[in-house]
Amino acid sequence: MKRLVKIICTLLGIIAITSCNDLDLNYNPVQPVTAPSPLRLPAIQANLAYSLYSQARFASFHSYYLTTRTGNSNAQTDTWNYNNITRMGAWRWHYFDVSANIASKDGILIRAEQDGDNNYTGVGKILLAFSFLTATDVFGDMPFSEAFTDIMNPVYDSQETVYQGVERLLDEGINELRNVNPTARSMNASSDLIYAGDYNKWISFAEAVRARLKLHTASFTANGYTDLLASVNTALAGFEDAMFRYPEESSSLWEKNLWGETRPNPEWQFADIRNDLANTLPTDVLMNALTVDEATNTFDPRLYKLTTPGANNKYLGAQMSVGLHSSNTNLPSGTTYQDFANLYNGYWTADNSPYPYMIKEELYFMKAEALFYLERYGEALIAYQQGIEHNCQRLGVEPGLITNFMGSAKVVQSAENLKISDIMMQKWLALYLQAETWVDMRRYGYGTHAYPDLYYPRFALAEWGGRYIQRFIYDPQTEYVYNPKEIARLGAGARDWAFKEVWWAEKSTLKNP
Amino acid sequence: MKKALQLLFASLFTFHVALAQEVTVKGRVSSAEDGSSIAGASIRIEGTGAGTSSGANGQYEIRASKGQVLVFSFVGMVSTTRTVGDESVINVVLESDGQSLDEVVVTALGIERNRKNLTYSVQTVSGDDLRAANQGNIINALQGQVAGAQISSAGGSPGLPTEIILRGSTTLSGDNQPLMIVDGIRVNNSSSNFTVNRVADINPEDIEDISILKGAAAAALYGIDAASGAIIITTKKGKQGVIQVNGSYKSFMETMGRLPRQQAIYTTGTGGTYDESSGSSWGRKFRYDETIYNNVERFFQTALTHDVNLNINGGSENLQYYMSGGYRNAGSMVPNTFQDKLSFMMKGTAKLSSKLSMTASANYVQNNIQEGLGGASAGGWINNILRFPLKYDILRYEYPNGEPWYAYLEPEDDGRNARISPMWGVMRNPRNNNVDRFTVNGFLEYNPLEWLRLSYRLGQDFTASKYRTIITPRTPGDFFDGRVAEVNSNSKYITSTFNATINKKLHEDLGFTLLLGANSDYFEARGINYTGEGLLIPDIFSPNVVDRTGLTFGESLSRRQRYAVYGDLSVSYKDIVTLAMTGRNDWTSTLSPQHRKYFSPSYSGSLAFSELFEDNDLWYGKLRVSYAKVGKDAPIYKTNTNLRQVATVGAGFVVDPTTGGNQDLRPERTSEFEVGTELSFFKRRLNIDLTYYNRESIDMILTTRVPPPAGYIFKTFNSGSLRNKGVEASVNVIPFRNEKFLWSTTLNAWKNTSKMLQFVGDIEVFPYTNVQLNAGKAGTRLHEHVLGIIGTDYKRTEEGYVIVGTDGYPIVDDTEKTIGNREPEFNLGWLNRFNYKAFSLSFMWDFRFGGDILNASRQGMMSTGIAYDIGEWRDKEFVFNGVVAQEDGSYVKNEKQVVLDYSYFANNYYQVGTNFVEKVNWARIRYITLGYSLPDFIAQKVRVKRLGLELSAQNPLIFTNYSGGDPEVNSAGPNAGGTGASSMGVDNGAIPLPRAFSLGLNISL
Repeated sequence: MKRLVKIICTLLGIIAITSCNDLDLNYNPVQPVTAPSPLRLPAIQANLAYSLYSQARFASFHSYYLTTRTGNSNAQTDTWNYNNITRMGAWRWHYFDVSANIASKDGILIRAEQDGDNNYTGVGKILLAFSFLTATDVFGDMPFSEAFTDIMNPVYDSQETVYQGVERLLDEGINELRNVNPTARSMNASSDLIYAGDYNKWISFAEAVRARLKLHTASFTANGYTDLLASVNTALAGFEDAMFRYPEESSSLWEKNLWGETRPNPEWQFADIRNDLANTLPTDVLMNALTVDEATNTFDPRLYKLTTPGANNKYLGAQMSVGLHSSNTNLPSGTTYQDFANLYNGYWTADNSPYPYMIKEELYFMKAEALFYLERYGEALIAYQQGIEHNCQRLGVEPGLITNFMGSAKVVQSAENLKISDIMMQKWLALYLQAETWVDMRRYGYGTHAYPDLYYPRFALAEWGGRYIQRFIYDPQTEYVYNPKEIARLGAGARDWAFKEVWWAEKSTLKNP
Repeated sequence: MKKALQLLFASLFTFHVALAQEVTVKGRVSSAEDGSSIAGASIRIEGTGAGTSSGANGQYEIRASKGQVLVFSFVGMVSTTRTVGDESVINVVLESDGQSLDEVVVTALGIERNRKNLTYSVQTVSGDDLRAANQGNIINALQGQVAGAQISSAGGSPGLPTEIILRGSTTLSGDNQPLMIVDGIRVNNSSSNFTVNRVADINPEDIEDISILKGAAAAALYGIDAASGAIIITTKKGKQGVIQVNGSYKSFMETMGRLPRQQAIYTTGTGGTYDESSGSSWGRKFRYDETIYNNVERFFQTALTHDVNLNINGGSENLQYYMSGGYRNAGSMVPNTFQDKLSFMMKGTAKLSSKLSMTASANYVQNNIQEGLGGASAGGWINNILRFPLKYDILRYEYPNGEPWYAYLEPEDDGRNARISPMWGVMRNPRNNNVDRFTVNGFLEYNPLEWLRLSYRLGQDFTASKYRTIITPRTPGDFFDGRVAEVNSNSKYITSTFNATINKKLHEDLGFTLLLGANSDYFEARGINYTGEGLLIPDIFSPNVVDRTGLTFGESLSRRQRYAVYGDLSVSYKDIVTLAMTGRNDWTSTLSPQHRKYFSPSYSGSLAFSELFEDNDLWYGKLRVSYAKVGKDAPIYKTNTNLRQVATVGAGFVVDPTTGGNQDLRPERTSEFEVGTELSFFKRRLNIDLTYYNRESIDMILTTRVPPPAGYIFKTFNSGSLRNKGVEASVNVIPFRNEKFLWSTTLNAWKNTSKMLQFVGDIEVFPYTNVQLNAGKAGTRLHEHVLGIIGTDYKRTEEGYVIVGTDGYPIVDDTEKTIGNREPEFNLGWLNRFNYKAFSLSFMWDFRFGGDILNASRQGMMSTGIAYDIGEWRDKEFVFNGVVAQEDGSYVKNEKQVVLDYSYFANNYYQVGTNFVEKVNWARIRYITLGYSLPDFIAQKVRVKRLGLELSAQNPLIFTNYSGGDPEVNSAGPNAGGTGASSMGVDNGAIPLPRAFSLGLNISL
């Protein structure tokens, strides 16, 4: 028996030795676990453009640029009902596609620090700050302090805390860029698709982000507008448009602006927020804003840059949420979608359009708004006109037409006539399809004192009780599953959660004239 | 090894016919039960055409050569063999075909155990019963034959997978299916890319029998792989004797089974008005002059399947061989869908010396499947057919020159956004899965001492798979310029097992068996894939003609290694008491070093209590008790996070969303208590096997979507624990038997209930991400059924009355709750076998009671206005049965009449999950097979030994209260995308099971 056990043990030993595979093979030999920062930054920037789009995809309806063709058809955009969605893409694009690639333990910050590439740390932090700012502006309270810590039910920090965090990240980012390590890997046009490694431009961008942040809270913060003005001026000094650019020609769905006519959906997760401009119409609010003289069919020259002519070369505007629905009363009978402008292939809506992070016009209009509330109307008027003119130039309006338009009744000519609605409507046009205008609209409580043509959408569900939409819901597929306690604490499980104002909207003093 | 194999196969082609003198053998055939004579028993000389049958008092006489083997058989009895020797009288006692107590059962690691000494429940299914079901996929053929096995196919198309779950689901994601073992080696049963589960490659004709190890104790020797049970398939092997040749040909005619219904009243439009541009059927009523096409029926077709098989077996005392070849060309009721399968198997056993024997086998399978229906990872196969407006003819999809015929095209559209019949996709954009599979298996057994057996087995299951999807240019949608995508992968499972078995009688009445062994199990899958978008030459689907910028390539490589040592000790006293203990220690590569070691023990015992009584020749009774703890390791590569390359401008790398690494993963633990009894009465004409089990799965490993703030999209983590408990009963009765007629019947009944015991963190309800539909989701809620349905209901009073609003419409309650349990309340499989002279008839009834279906097919049809109920109810006036709340808090009956208009369906009915949950019962015949052996004189005329005919029907009849198509649904299949949970009971555009009829011919030479 003893001998037997010995024999068996020997045999077992032989087998163990001959079966030569090591057990340490649970790593994928054909995929990396880390990569140097220059190989990470471009994708973060590309994802940030996607992320901003994912917010704008719905915000551009909520801010009355667009409405669906059939009317009463899209639950989110026509009825403002987010209760039946499966996923909230914008949540993922901010947290995962942008921020996890920066701040998680697999993100650029850790590798950049290990390698001493603090220029990437700086740009990374600024992008992270910007992404958090845009995300909290559509979501409100959200995980910040416990984000990227492996905790699956992180605390939702208040928006105020997130705002503080954003400013801190901006400070840290600026600080890194002011003290770039001489041995840091270079940052150039192939690793930085926004500013080709120009740190000063990044610093100005960071200041612009700070200005945006301050604008949101200015009305209820002591010296808010003074501080804002200072920030805007700092930013304007060295600011250049932060744009994510797509190639002129590309057959890849990954290399197209998501508003483009190809309707790219490079990732399947993206399907539910894919653009549907073919089945979308410009609203009457938009067309009003772009009409100089209805009688003579004179339009703001930017109309022809923002859109392309429809089949019938007509420029009707559809009622919000109604579209061509049979209950639309202010469209001539027999109207078809061909009587509207074609939304594709405008300046911002072509496959190769740049995707804006932030454009200079925004700074001009922020400046105008600050000056307006500081009662420096003359300077406000100048900033306002600079914003319009800059926008016309950007869109490629011919100089003669710009001069004409700048002198038209659409543009306020004297400081005493300048109303806040003039500034806000022109900002709205300049930031066509950007989610930031939804922030403005909510700061002003969708009030007609700022947006004279607004009205309540006919097909918004009766149960909203006439309230305007205020935010996106959190991702139903993950947040409501893993973090029910935080969701309950916030009350985010309520059907009308999307109608609860975010912090700065609640505090805003601008909602009433 | 290789040389030995060559030698073996070379020798297979040499016939070993011993030339010996002929003798006359006489004897009597009698029944073991009562000793009575058996008249009409067949006595054949194995491997020859010669044979006779017993006379009135069981007497027979036959001339045979010494060394030849006589096969004695009779209906309802277990066949037995005797080798002709010097004696001239051979009396034979035949055992009845009920569960014979001396039956040898194959258990874990291929260990053969006498059923008497089994200490846990093992159910076996014979190859013949399996083949009677006439299913190409052997998992489908097990339906109803195994108590406790929940089997559901993902749809009635040859390339779709079938899921088998033993004793309830043990995990909320990934594979719930048992380990698949063929002849001692682990084989591939994956269904990657939503193709057929790979065990379906196995030719049913090659199967001798299947043992189902349902519980943890039975499977405990598989340790970290045993949590979901194991299916042990044994293939046929050569038998000593003269060469035998068997051939069969079967032809099947397949037609559509049960279909969902549609309305044929309203045409396209939205909100009640006609709109040509709309794909919805919410328009006006059809005019009398408009043609209405019954598209669902027009879509499906009748198809033919041919199945040919040939096998040869025989051998001498020292060398036996089995060879088989099969070819199946299967059509499908789904157009442009077929299967072409070729299989070839060789197996030989050689006795190299008195102490050493060797078995080697090689099995090659080529299985090429083309599927017309694309579907998605969550199913949805026929949704686009179910929703296609009836004003268009589904069969009209192209011009005679092959260009697409768009049903609706907007003026400026080049076809990109056009509407086209789904038939275009079916005919032009099929997906193909071509598999070449090669399994080799070598087994060496050495018996140095009478009580000691050493064995070593080395086997590899190699699968080369090519999966291709194409999109023909000008197909509306995302890939208007065409697309071709292909995944080529080679996967292999290498199993190497050494066992030492000591079998000793310590005392006359005391038996002792000890097994010690070691095992290595290696898996590797290596793949290259490409996607090409934009075909420059529209009719060649190859990366060679794809615009270079539209090409992406990728490589995958996954590996896993497990090592184990194990022991199995069992002691039995007089076949009355058996005590057994097993232990296995695993080391797996898929967990971090600190967690990779895992020990699985089992303790079990049985008591044959009838032996304590004196009249134990009339009945038999045994009690079994067992407890075991087994496990499950993590999926491959879940401990690290990877980066992946992106195609965005500027390229570079991002965190791969599918690989949230987790260094802290621990193995999943399953512990199970099982108690059972085996009872036999009436001299074994009534056999009952009852089992109760209680299984708890702890630290369940889940790979799923996690909150993005954690930094991942998908992550694998230990997520909680759940429990399954249930009862299984298997009753075998022979109600009637005489010389000519036999009726044997088996009932398999089972019930499983599950409960989610604990979730990690704050999770209270976990919806499965792969089966989320608008109003209802498959999901699990804490403290409730594991296979639940989560969704909304109407607001109700405490008494359960629906609360109707003052507007007359019921009020939707938005709180999501559990609104269904997809697990059947009770299952019953009833197999009947009749034999009368040369006829045999078998049929399987399958009953299911309860178990909810989430009818997302109907929900989809409802949203597009084409559902049958829309036709019945739309624009009708209706008073909802419910109560209206009064200001004082009381309720009065609702009497307000309202119109069921579009807005009601879209904003009310459609939002309520309970409207799409149906509690389903069914009674169905899985198969009926009628066989007839032609009389010998006819067989001899065509110079064959035996000629049999078979008529069979599969799924011919179903009674059910389900409103949709076939209620056997599992939309996403076993393991959608590797991250999905069981989607059993979710009907999301499921292809209903076909109804098939077959005619078969069997020949023995």
